[in-house]
Amino acid sequence: MKLAEFTIAQLQNALLTGELSARDIALQTLSAIEQHNPALNAWTEVTTDRMLQEAEGIDRLRRDGQPLPPLAAVPYAVKNLFDVAGYSTLAGASLFSDRPAARQDAWAVNKLAQSGALLSGMLNMDAYAYGFTTENSHYGATHNPRDLTRIAGGSSGGSAAAVAAGLVHFSLGTDTNGSIRVPASLCGILGLKPTFGRLSRSGSHPFVASLDHIGPFARSAEDLALVYDALQGRDSDDAFQADQPQQPTLAALDKGQEGLRCGVLGGYFHQWCNDDARAAVAVAARALNASDEVTFADAEIARYSAFLITASEGGNHYLPALRATPERFEPLSRERLLAGAMIPSAWYIQAQRFRRHFQQQILPLFAHFDVLIAPATPCSATTIGQETIHINGVDLPTRASMGMLTQPISFLGLPVATVPLQTTSGLPIGLQLIAAPFKEDLALRAARALEQQGLVMAQAATVSR
Amino acid sequence: MKDTPEWTTYLAQMEQVLALDLDDARRAELLNQFTRIAAMAQPLMAYPLDDRLEVAGVYQA
Repeated sequence: MKLAEFTIAQLQNALLTGELSARDIALQTLSAIEQHNPALNAWTEVTTDRMLQEAEGIDRLRRDGQPLPPLAAVPYAVKNLFDVAGYSTLAGASLFSDRPAARQDAWAVNKLAQSGALLSGMLNMDAYAYGFTTENSHYGATHNPRDLTRIAGGSSGGSAAAVAAGLVHFSLGTDTNGSIRVPASLCGILGLKPTFGRLSRSGSHPFVASLDHIGPFARSAEDLALVYDALQGRDSDDAFQADQPQQPTLAALDKGQEGLRCGVLGGYFHQWCNDDARAAVAVAARALNASDEVTFADAEIARYSAFLITASEGGNHYLPALRATPERFEPLSRERLLAGAMIPSAWYIQAQRFRRHFQQQILPLFAHFDVLIAPATPCSATTIGQETIHINGVDLPTRASMGMLTQPISFLGLPVATVPLQTTSGLPIGLQLIAAPFKEDLALRAARALEQQGLVMAQAATVSR
Repeated sequence: MKDTPEWTTYLAQMEQVLALDLDDARRAELLNQFTRIAAMAQPLMAYPLDDRLEVAGVYQA
Protein backbone atom coordinates (compact mmCIF):
# COMPACT_ATOMS: atom_id res chain seq x y z
CA MET A 1 0.00 0.00 0.00
CA LYS A 2 1.41 3.41 -0.97
CA LEU A 3 1.68 6.09 1.71
CA ALA A 4 -0.72 8.31 -0.24
CA GLU A 5 -3.48 5.73 0.16
CA PHE A 6 -3.40 6.14 3.96
CA THR A 7 -5.34 8.92 5.63
CA ILE A 8 -3.49 10.62 8.47
CA ALA A 9 -5.44 8.50 10.98
CA GLN A 10 -4.56 5.30 9.08
CA LEU A 11 -0.93 6.34 8.86
CA GLN A 12 -0.82 6.79 12.61
CA ASN A 13 -2.51 3.46 13.16
CA ALA A 14 0.19 1.83 11.01
CA LEU A 15 2.76 3.59 13.18
CA LEU A 16 1.15 2.32 16.40
CA THR A 17 0.87 -1.27 15.19
CA GLY A 18 4.46 -1.27 13.94
CA GLU A 19 3.46 -1.77 10.29
CA LEU A 20 5.49 1.37 9.52
CA SER A 21 8.15 3.28 11.40
CA ALA A 22 8.55 7.04 11.14
CA ARG A 23 11.87 6.38 9.38
CA ASP A 24 10.08 4.17 6.81
CA ILE A 25 7.64 7.01 6.16
CA ALA A 26 10.42 9.60 5.85
CA LEU A 27 12.51 7.44 3.51
CA GLN A 28 9.55 6.54 1.29
CA THR A 29 8.53 10.21 1.12
CA LEU A 30 12.04 11.41 0.23
CA SER A 31 12.37 8.71 -2.42
CA ALA A 32 9.01 9.62 -4.00
CA ILE A 33 9.92 13.32 -4.03
CA GLU A 34 13.23 12.52 -5.74
CA GLN A 35 11.38 10.45 -8.34
CA HIS A 36 8.50 12.80 -9.12
CA ASN A 37 9.61 16.33 -8.34
CA PRO A 38 11.54 16.76 -11.63
CA ALA A 39 8.20 16.46 -13.47
CA LEU A 40 6.29 18.67 -11.02
CA ASN A 41 8.80 21.32 -9.93
CA ALA A 42 6.95 21.65 -6.63
CA TRP A 43 9.87 21.52 -4.17
CA THR A 44 12.52 24.24 -4.26
CA GLU A 45 14.35 22.69 -1.28
CA VAL A 46 14.20 19.21 0.23
CA THR A 47 15.03 19.07 3.96
CA THR A 48 16.34 15.50 4.06
CA ASP A 49 18.41 15.72 7.26
CA ARG A 50 15.69 17.48 9.21
CA MET A 51 13.04 15.00 8.09
CA LEU A 52 15.15 12.02 9.14
CA GLN A 53 15.94 13.66 12.49
CA GLU A 54 12.26 14.38 13.14
CA ALA A 55 11.45 10.76 12.22
CA GLU A 56 14.09 9.49 14.62
CA GLY A 57 12.47 11.56 17.39
CA ILE A 58 9.10 9.89 16.75
CA ASP A 59 10.60 6.41 16.57
CA ARG A 60 12.34 7.06 19.89
CA LEU A 61 8.99 7.89 21.48
CA ARG A 62 7.57 4.65 20.07
CA ARG A 63 10.48 2.58 21.38
CA ASP A 64 10.08 4.17 24.80
CA GLY A 65 6.34 3.55 24.85
CA GLN A 66 5.60 7.26 25.12
CA PRO A 67 2.34 8.80 23.81
CA LEU A 68 2.61 10.10 20.26
CA PRO A 69 1.71 13.69 19.31
CA PRO A 70 -1.35 14.29 17.06
CA LEU A 71 0.50 14.47 13.73
CA ALA A 72 3.24 11.96 14.55
CA ALA A 73 5.25 10.97 11.44
CA VAL A 74 2.90 12.71 9.00
CA PRO A 75 4.94 14.02 6.04
CA TYR A 76 4.33 17.60 4.94
CA ALA A 77 5.94 20.58 3.20
CA VAL A 78 5.50 24.35 3.30
CA LYS A 79 5.29 27.19 0.79
CA ASN A 80 8.73 28.74 0.60
CA LEU A 81 7.66 31.95 2.31
CA PHE A 82 7.54 30.24 5.74
CA ASP A 83 10.71 30.54 7.80
CA VAL A 84 12.49 27.24 8.32
CA ALA A 85 15.50 27.39 10.63
CA GLY A 86 18.75 27.08 8.70
CA TYR A 87 17.35 28.07 5.28
CA SER A 88 16.85 31.38 3.46
CA THR A 89 13.17 32.25 3.10
CA LEU A 90 12.63 32.80 -0.62
CA ALA A 91 9.01 33.97 -0.96
CA GLY A 92 9.36 32.77 -4.54
CA ALA A 93 11.93 35.46 -5.28
CA SER A 94 15.52 35.13 -6.41
CA LEU A 95 15.85 38.57 -4.79
CA PHE A 96 15.92 36.81 -1.41
CA SER A 97 18.09 33.83 -2.32
CA ASP A 98 21.24 35.33 -0.78
CA ARG A 99 19.57 36.48 2.43
CA PRO A 100 20.75 35.00 5.73
CA ALA A 101 19.15 31.75 6.81
CA ALA A 102 16.19 31.95 9.18
CA ARG A 103 17.23 31.49 12.80
CA GLN A 104 13.99 29.85 13.85
CA ASP A 105 10.92 28.23 12.37
CA ALA A 106 7.78 30.20 11.60
CA TRP A 107 5.19 29.92 14.38
CA ALA A 108 3.08 27.51 12.31
CA VAL A 109 6.06 25.34 11.32
CA ASN A 110 7.12 25.14 14.96
CA LYS A 111 3.57 24.15 15.92
CA LEU A 112 3.63 21.35 13.34
CA ALA A 113 7.05 20.18 14.55
CA GLN A 114 5.68 20.08 18.11
CA SER A 115 2.78 18.04 16.75
CA GLY A 116 5.17 15.42 15.41
CA ALA A 117 4.87 16.10 11.66
CA LEU A 118 7.87 15.50 9.39
CA LEU A 119 9.00 18.44 7.24
CA SER A 120 10.09 17.35 3.75
CA GLY A 121 10.95 20.81 2.39
CA MET A 122 9.84 24.08 0.90
CA LEU A 123 7.59 24.60 -2.11
CA ASN A 124 7.44 26.75 -5.22
CA MET A 125 5.11 29.74 -5.54
CA ASP A 126 4.48 32.87 -7.56
CA ALA A 127 7.18 35.42 -6.78
CA TYR A 128 6.19 37.48 -3.69
CA ALA A 129 2.84 35.53 -3.68
CA TYR A 130 1.67 37.93 -6.41
CA GLY A 131 -0.08 35.76 -8.99
CA PHE A 132 -2.53 32.90 -9.47
CA THR A 133 -0.53 30.54 -11.71
CA THR A 134 2.88 29.65 -10.14
CA GLU A 135 4.62 30.49 -13.40
CA ASN A 136 7.81 31.70 -11.75
CA SER A 137 10.37 33.12 -14.18
CA HIS A 138 13.33 32.22 -11.93
CA TYR A 139 12.27 28.94 -10.30
CA GLY A 140 10.14 27.70 -13.19
CA ALA A 141 6.45 26.81 -13.42
CA THR A 142 4.97 24.18 -11.13
CA HIS A 143 3.14 21.52 -13.15
CA ASN A 144 -0.32 20.29 -12.24
CA PRO A 145 -0.20 16.59 -11.21
CA ARG A 146 -3.62 16.02 -12.86
CA ASP A 147 -2.17 17.10 -16.23
CA LEU A 148 1.48 18.12 -16.39
CA THR A 149 0.87 20.51 -19.30
CA ARG A 150 -1.33 22.66 -17.06
CA ILE A 151 -0.76 25.21 -14.32
CA ALA A 152 -1.06 24.22 -10.67
CA GLY A 153 -2.63 27.58 -9.84
CA GLY A 154 -1.13 30.02 -7.39
CA SER A 155 0.30 31.53 -5.57
CA SER A 156 0.64 28.39 -3.39
CA GLY A 157 0.99 26.19 -6.49
CA GLY A 158 3.80 24.00 -5.13
CA SER A 159 1.81 23.39 -1.95
CA ALA A 160 -1.22 22.15 -3.89
CA ALA A 161 0.79 20.09 -6.39
CA ALA A 162 2.75 18.32 -3.63
CA VAL A 163 -0.46 17.13 -1.95
CA ALA A 164 -2.33 16.37 -5.20
CA ALA A 165 0.58 14.18 -6.33
CA GLY A 166 0.31 12.19 -3.09
CA LEU A 167 3.88 12.96 -2.07
CA VAL A 168 2.93 14.46 1.31
CA HIS A 169 -0.27 14.25 3.34
CA PHE A 170 -0.63 17.98 3.81
CA SER A 171 1.08 21.28 3.15
CA LEU A 172 0.93 24.88 4.23
CA GLY A 173 0.12 27.78 1.94
CA THR A 174 -0.98 31.36 2.25
CA ASP A 175 -4.00 33.14 0.82
CA THR A 176 -4.16 36.91 0.28
CA ASN A 177 -6.71 36.96 -2.54
CA GLY A 178 -7.20 33.26 -3.30
CA SER A 179 -3.74 31.70 -3.16
CA ILE A 180 -4.94 28.62 -1.24
CA ARG A 181 -8.35 28.28 -2.88
CA VAL A 182 -7.23 28.73 -6.51
CA PRO A 183 -4.49 26.05 -6.52
CA ALA A 184 -6.70 23.71 -4.45
CA SER A 185 -9.35 24.08 -7.14
CA LEU A 186 -7.02 23.57 -10.09
CA CYS A 187 -5.07 20.66 -8.56
CA GLY A 188 -8.17 18.90 -7.22
CA ILE A 189 -7.56 18.82 -3.47
CA LEU A 190 -9.06 20.44 -0.37
CA GLY A 191 -7.85 23.68 1.14
CA LEU A 192 -8.83 25.77 4.14
CA LYS A 193 -8.54 29.53 4.26
CA PRO A 194 -9.47 30.31 7.86
CA THR A 195 -11.04 33.53 9.14
CA PHE A 196 -8.77 36.56 8.74
CA GLY A 197 -6.76 36.78 11.97
CA ARG A 198 -7.47 33.17 13.04
CA LEU A 199 -4.01 31.60 12.65
CA SER A 200 -0.64 33.11 13.46
CA ARG A 201 1.33 34.50 10.53
CA SER A 202 4.54 35.07 12.53
CA GLY A 203 7.60 33.98 10.62
CA SER A 204 5.94 34.02 7.22
CA HIS A 205 7.15 36.55 4.68
CA PRO A 206 4.42 39.22 4.45
CA PHE A 207 2.85 40.42 1.23
CA VAL A 208 -0.31 42.38 2.17
CA ALA A 209 -0.71 42.67 5.95
CA SER A 210 -4.39 43.65 5.61
CA LEU A 211 -5.29 40.49 3.70
CA ASP A 212 -2.70 37.73 4.29
CA HIS A 213 -3.93 34.43 5.77
CA ILE A 214 -2.17 31.09 6.26
CA GLY A 215 -3.84 27.70 5.91
CA PRO A 216 -3.49 24.01 5.07
CA PHE A 217 -4.09 21.77 2.02
CA ALA A 218 -5.02 18.06 2.28
CA ARG A 219 -6.83 15.30 0.37
CA SER A 220 -9.71 14.81 2.81
CA ALA A 221 -11.82 16.93 5.14
CA GLU A 222 -10.71 14.81 8.09
CA ASP A 223 -7.01 15.37 7.37
CA LEU A 224 -7.64 19.07 6.78
CA ALA A 225 -9.47 19.39 10.12
CA LEU A 226 -6.71 17.51 11.97
CA VAL A 227 -4.04 19.85 10.63
CA TYR A 228 -6.14 22.98 11.15
CA ASP A 229 -6.75 21.96 14.77
CA ALA A 230 -3.00 21.50 15.28
CA LEU A 231 -2.31 24.98 13.86
CA GLN A 232 -4.63 26.78 16.26
CA GLY A 233 -3.25 28.65 19.25
CA ARG A 234 -2.50 32.12 20.50
CA ASP A 235 0.65 33.90 19.34
CA SER A 236 1.19 37.12 21.26
CA ASP A 237 3.74 38.29 18.66
CA ASP A 238 1.13 38.44 15.87
CA ALA A 239 -0.63 41.81 16.14
CA PHE A 240 -3.20 40.76 13.54
CA GLN A 241 -4.31 37.60 15.32
CA ALA A 242 -7.84 37.72 16.74
CA ASP A 243 -8.16 37.03 20.44
CA GLN A 244 -10.20 33.84 20.08
CA PRO A 245 -10.12 30.58 22.03
CA GLN A 246 -9.16 27.40 20.22
CA GLN A 247 -12.14 25.74 18.55
CA PRO A 248 -11.28 22.16 17.52
CA THR A 249 -13.20 21.02 14.45
CA LEU A 250 -12.41 17.32 14.12
CA ALA A 251 -14.81 15.89 16.70
CA ALA A 252 -17.94 17.31 15.05
CA LEU A 253 -16.80 16.74 11.46
CA ASP A 254 -18.89 13.62 10.86
CA LYS A 255 -22.08 15.50 11.67
CA GLY A 256 -21.72 16.51 8.04
CA GLN A 257 -24.74 18.47 6.84
CA GLU A 258 -26.87 17.71 9.92
CA GLY A 259 -28.77 20.95 10.57
CA LEU A 260 -26.63 22.96 8.12
CA ARG A 261 -28.49 25.69 6.25
CA CYS A 262 -26.80 26.09 2.88
CA GLY A 263 -27.33 28.58 0.07
CA VAL A 264 -25.84 29.33 -3.33
CA LEU A 265 -24.05 32.53 -4.22
CA GLY A 266 -25.47 33.84 -7.49
CA GLY A 267 -25.03 37.08 -9.39
CA TYR A 268 -21.34 37.90 -9.88
CA PHE A 269 -20.31 34.36 -8.85
CA HIS A 270 -22.68 32.76 -11.38
CA GLN A 271 -21.82 35.21 -14.14
CA TRP A 272 -18.01 35.06 -14.06
CA CYS A 273 -17.45 31.33 -14.52
CA ASN A 274 -17.95 28.69 -17.20
CA ASP A 275 -20.50 25.89 -17.46
CA ASP A 276 -18.22 23.37 -15.71
CA ALA A 277 -18.12 25.59 -12.63
CA ARG A 278 -21.89 26.18 -12.73
CA ALA A 279 -22.54 22.44 -13.05
CA ALA A 280 -20.32 21.71 -10.03
CA VAL A 281 -22.19 24.32 -7.97
CA ALA A 282 -25.52 22.75 -8.99
CA VAL A 283 -24.34 19.27 -7.92
CA ALA A 284 -23.17 20.53 -4.52
CA ALA A 285 -26.34 22.61 -4.07
CA ARG A 286 -28.51 19.53 -4.61
CA ALA A 287 -26.39 17.47 -2.23
CA LEU A 288 -26.50 20.12 0.50
CA ASN A 289 -30.18 21.00 0.00
CA ALA A 290 -29.22 24.54 -0.93
CA SER A 291 -32.31 25.74 -2.75
CA ASP A 292 -32.00 29.48 -2.06
CA GLU A 293 -29.75 31.78 -4.03
CA VAL A 294 -28.29 34.96 -2.58
CA THR A 295 -26.22 37.67 -4.19
CA PHE A 296 -23.53 39.97 -2.89
CA ALA A 297 -24.31 43.45 -4.16
CA ASP A 298 -21.10 45.21 -5.15
CA ALA A 299 -19.00 42.02 -5.32
CA GLU A 300 -17.13 43.51 -8.27
CA ILE A 301 -16.22 46.62 -6.29
CA ALA A 302 -15.08 44.35 -3.47
CA ARG A 303 -12.74 42.66 -5.92
CA TYR A 304 -11.45 46.00 -7.15
CA SER A 305 -10.88 47.12 -3.56
CA ALA A 306 -8.94 43.95 -2.75
CA PHE A 307 -6.86 44.55 -5.88
CA LEU A 308 -6.11 48.15 -4.82
CA ILE A 309 -5.16 47.23 -1.25
CA THR A 310 -2.96 44.42 -2.56
CA ALA A 311 -1.23 46.63 -5.11
CA SER A 312 -0.71 49.45 -2.64
CA GLU A 313 0.60 47.45 0.33
CA GLY A 314 2.60 45.07 -1.87
CA GLY A 315 4.08 47.97 -3.83
CA ASN A 316 5.05 49.82 -0.68
CA HIS A 317 6.61 46.67 0.77
CA TYR A 318 8.91 46.21 -2.22
CA LEU A 319 9.60 49.86 -3.04
CA PRO A 320 13.15 50.00 -1.57
CA ALA A 321 14.16 46.91 -3.53
CA LEU A 322 12.39 48.15 -6.67
CA ARG A 323 14.56 51.24 -6.40
CA ALA A 324 17.83 49.49 -5.55
CA THR A 325 17.78 46.23 -7.53
CA PRO A 326 15.01 46.29 -10.14
CA GLU A 327 16.94 43.85 -12.33
CA ARG A 328 16.44 41.13 -9.70
CA PHE A 329 12.64 41.29 -9.81
CA GLU A 330 10.21 38.86 -11.35
CA PRO A 331 9.47 40.51 -14.71
CA LEU A 332 5.86 39.33 -14.62
CA SER A 333 5.09 41.50 -11.60
CA ARG A 334 7.76 44.23 -11.33
CA GLU A 335 5.84 47.12 -12.90
CA ARG A 336 2.59 45.92 -11.31
CA LEU A 337 4.27 46.35 -7.91
CA LEU A 338 5.67 49.72 -8.95
CA ALA A 339 2.24 50.92 -10.09
CA GLY A 340 0.87 49.86 -6.72
CA ALA A 341 3.48 51.95 -4.92
CA MET A 342 2.21 55.00 -6.79
CA ILE A 343 -1.49 54.67 -5.87
CA PRO A 344 -2.98 57.84 -4.33
CA SER A 345 -3.75 57.37 -0.64
CA ALA A 346 -7.41 58.35 -1.22
CA TRP A 347 -7.93 55.20 -3.31
CA TYR A 348 -6.31 52.95 -0.72
CA ILE A 349 -8.25 54.40 2.21
CA GLN A 350 -11.52 54.28 0.29
CA ALA A 351 -10.86 50.59 -0.37
CA GLN A 352 -10.25 49.94 3.35
CA ARG A 353 -13.44 51.78 4.31
CA PHE A 354 -15.40 49.97 1.61
CA ARG A 355 -14.20 46.74 3.22
CA ARG A 356 -16.02 47.65 6.42
CA HIS A 357 -19.11 48.64 4.43
CA PHE A 358 -19.07 45.34 2.53
CA GLN A 359 -18.74 43.36 5.78
CA GLN A 360 -21.73 45.22 7.20
CA GLN A 361 -23.77 44.38 4.11
CA ILE A 362 -22.85 40.69 3.96
CA LEU A 363 -22.56 39.41 7.54
CA PRO A 364 -26.33 39.59 8.27
CA LEU A 365 -26.83 36.88 5.61
CA PHE A 366 -25.34 34.39 8.05
CA ALA A 367 -28.41 34.76 10.27
CA HIS A 368 -30.15 32.69 7.57
CA PHE A 369 -27.32 30.54 6.19
CA ASP A 370 -24.47 28.53 7.70
CA VAL A 371 -22.66 27.88 4.44
CA LEU A 372 -22.72 29.61 1.05
CA ILE A 373 -21.52 27.80 -2.07
CA ALA A 374 -19.61 29.45 -4.94
CA PRO A 375 -17.04 28.34 -7.51
CA ALA A 376 -13.40 28.82 -6.45
CA THR A 377 -12.15 29.50 -9.97
CA PRO A 378 -13.88 30.62 -13.17
CA CYS A 379 -12.69 27.44 -14.94
CA SER A 380 -10.42 24.41 -14.56
CA ALA A 381 -6.63 24.56 -14.98
CA THR A 382 -5.36 26.25 -18.13
CA THR A 383 -2.23 25.21 -19.96
CA ILE A 384 1.10 26.63 -18.83
CA GLY A 385 1.79 29.85 -20.70
CA GLN A 386 -1.87 30.44 -21.65
CA GLU A 387 -2.28 34.20 -21.35
CA THR A 388 -6.07 34.53 -21.38
CA ILE A 389 -9.22 32.73 -20.28
CA HIS A 390 -12.52 33.24 -22.08
CA ILE A 391 -15.26 33.79 -19.48
CA ASN A 392 -18.69 35.38 -19.84
CA GLY A 393 -17.89 36.33 -23.44
CA VAL A 394 -14.72 38.20 -22.49
CA ASP A 395 -11.02 37.35 -22.78
CA LEU A 396 -9.42 37.94 -19.37
CA PRO A 397 -5.75 37.75 -18.32
CA THR A 398 -5.23 34.33 -16.71
CA ARG A 399 -2.61 35.42 -14.16
CA ALA A 400 -4.88 38.05 -12.56
CA SER A 401 -8.33 36.57 -13.21
CA MET A 402 -8.12 33.03 -11.80
CA GLY A 403 -8.78 34.64 -8.42
CA MET A 404 -11.70 36.84 -9.38
CA LEU A 405 -14.19 34.63 -7.47
CA THR A 406 -12.00 34.24 -4.38
CA GLN A 407 -11.00 37.88 -3.95
CA PRO A 408 -14.34 39.24 -2.66
CA ILE A 409 -14.48 36.47 -0.02
CA SER A 410 -10.98 36.96 1.43
CA PHE A 411 -11.67 40.70 1.33
CA LEU A 412 -14.48 39.91 3.77
CA GLY A 413 -12.11 37.69 5.76
CA LEU A 414 -14.58 34.79 5.90
CA PRO A 415 -13.46 31.18 6.43
CA VAL A 416 -13.65 28.99 3.34
CA ALA A 417 -13.13 25.27 2.77
CA THR A 418 -12.43 24.46 -0.88
CA VAL A 419 -13.48 21.05 -2.23
CA PRO A 420 -12.84 19.65 -5.72
CA LEU A 421 -15.50 18.08 -7.94
CA GLN A 422 -14.78 16.45 -11.28
CA THR A 423 -15.90 18.18 -14.49
CA THR A 424 -16.94 16.51 -17.73
CA SER A 425 -13.45 17.21 -19.11
CA GLY A 426 -12.00 15.02 -16.36
CA LEU A 427 -10.23 17.96 -14.75
CA PRO A 428 -11.23 19.05 -11.24
CA ILE A 429 -12.77 22.36 -10.26
CA GLY A 430 -13.07 23.59 -6.70
CA LEU A 431 -16.04 24.99 -4.82
CA GLN A 432 -15.82 27.50 -2.01
CA LEU A 433 -17.85 26.55 1.08
CA ILE A 434 -18.06 29.88 2.89
CA ALA A 435 -19.04 30.33 6.53
CA ALA A 436 -19.39 33.16 9.07
CA PRO A 437 -16.29 34.40 10.94
CA PHE A 438 -14.72 31.69 13.16
CA LYS A 439 -17.16 29.06 11.85
CA GLU A 440 -14.46 26.99 10.14
CA ASP A 441 -16.16 23.93 11.65
CA LEU A 442 -19.27 24.49 9.52
CA ALA A 443 -17.32 24.93 6.27
CA LEU A 444 -15.41 21.73 7.04
CA ARG A 445 -18.63 19.86 7.87
CA ALA A 446 -20.10 20.87 4.51
CA ALA A 447 -16.93 19.57 2.84
CA ARG A 448 -17.28 16.32 4.77
CA ALA A 449 -20.95 16.06 3.74
CA LEU A 450 -19.95 16.23 0.07
CA GLU A 451 -17.33 13.54 0.69
CA GLN A 452 -19.91 11.35 2.45
CA GLN A 453 -22.03 11.54 -0.72
CA GLY A 454 -19.08 10.52 -2.90
CA LEU A 455 -18.87 13.82 -4.74
CA VAL A 456 -15.36 14.98 -3.81
CA MET A 457 -12.60 13.83 -6.16
CA ALA A 458 -9.36 14.43 -4.29
CA GLN A 459 -7.45 11.16 -4.43
CA ALA A 460 -3.74 11.37 -5.22
CA ALA A 461 -2.91 11.74 -8.90
CA THR A 462 -0.58 9.36 -10.68
CA VAL A 463 2.30 11.48 -11.92
CA SER A 464 3.74 10.37 -15.23
CA ARG A 465 5.60 12.32 -17.85
CA MET B 1 -10.60 59.55 -13.08
CA LYS B 2 -8.77 60.86 -16.10
CA ASP B 3 -7.44 59.29 -19.24
CA THR B 4 -4.03 57.94 -20.15
CA PRO B 5 -2.14 61.14 -21.14
CA GLU B 6 -2.72 62.68 -17.71
CA TRP B 7 -1.52 59.51 -15.97
CA THR B 8 1.71 59.87 -17.91
CA THR B 9 2.32 63.20 -16.21
CA TYR B 10 1.30 61.86 -12.79
CA LEU B 11 3.56 58.84 -13.15
CA ALA B 12 6.52 60.98 -14.24
CA GLN B 13 6.08 63.06 -11.09
CA MET B 14 5.78 59.97 -8.92
CA GLU B 15 8.93 58.59 -10.52
CA GLN B 16 10.73 61.70 -9.25
CA VAL B 17 9.04 61.74 -5.84
CA LEU B 18 9.95 58.10 -5.20
CA ALA B 19 13.50 58.53 -6.60
CA LEU B 20 13.16 55.93 -9.30
CA ASP B 21 15.10 55.72 -12.52
CA LEU B 22 13.06 54.03 -15.25
CA ASP B 23 13.71 53.48 -18.93
CA ASP B 24 11.04 53.97 -21.60
CA ALA B 25 10.11 50.29 -21.74
CA ARG B 26 9.47 50.18 -17.99
CA ARG B 27 7.54 53.47 -18.15
CA ALA B 28 5.29 52.01 -20.84
CA GLU B 29 4.56 48.90 -18.76
CA LEU B 30 4.06 51.03 -15.64
CA LEU B 31 1.49 53.13 -17.51
CA ASN B 32 -0.25 49.95 -18.65
CA GLN B 33 -0.43 48.58 -15.09
CA PHE B 34 -1.42 51.89 -13.51
CA THR B 35 -4.16 52.53 -16.06
CA ARG B 36 -5.67 49.15 -15.19
CA ILE B 37 -5.65 49.98 -11.48
CA ALA B 38 -7.11 53.44 -12.18
CA ALA B 39 -10.03 51.85 -14.02
CA MET B 40 -10.77 49.78 -10.90
CA ALA B 41 -10.51 52.84 -8.65
CA GLN B 42 -13.12 54.73 -10.66
CA PRO B 43 -16.28 52.91 -9.46
CA LEU B 44 -14.84 52.57 -5.95
CA MET B 45 -14.22 56.31 -5.63
CA ALA B 46 -17.72 57.00 -6.97
CA TYR B 47 -19.23 54.73 -4.29
CA PRO B 48 -20.97 56.72 -1.52
CA LEU B 49 -19.77 55.71 1.95
CA ASP B 50 -21.19 56.86 5.26
CA ASP B 51 -19.01 59.65 6.65
CA ARG B 52 -18.67 57.79 9.98
CA LEU B 53 -17.52 54.59 8.35
CA GLU B 54 -14.09 53.44 9.54
CA VAL B 55 -11.64 51.01 7.99
CA ALA B 56 -12.17 47.30 8.63
CA GLY B 57 -10.28 45.53 11.43
CA VAL B 58 -9.85 41.97 12.61
CA TYR B 59 -13.00 40.08 13.63
CA GLN B 60 -13.25 39.72 17.40
CA ALA B 61 -16.43 37.72 17.75
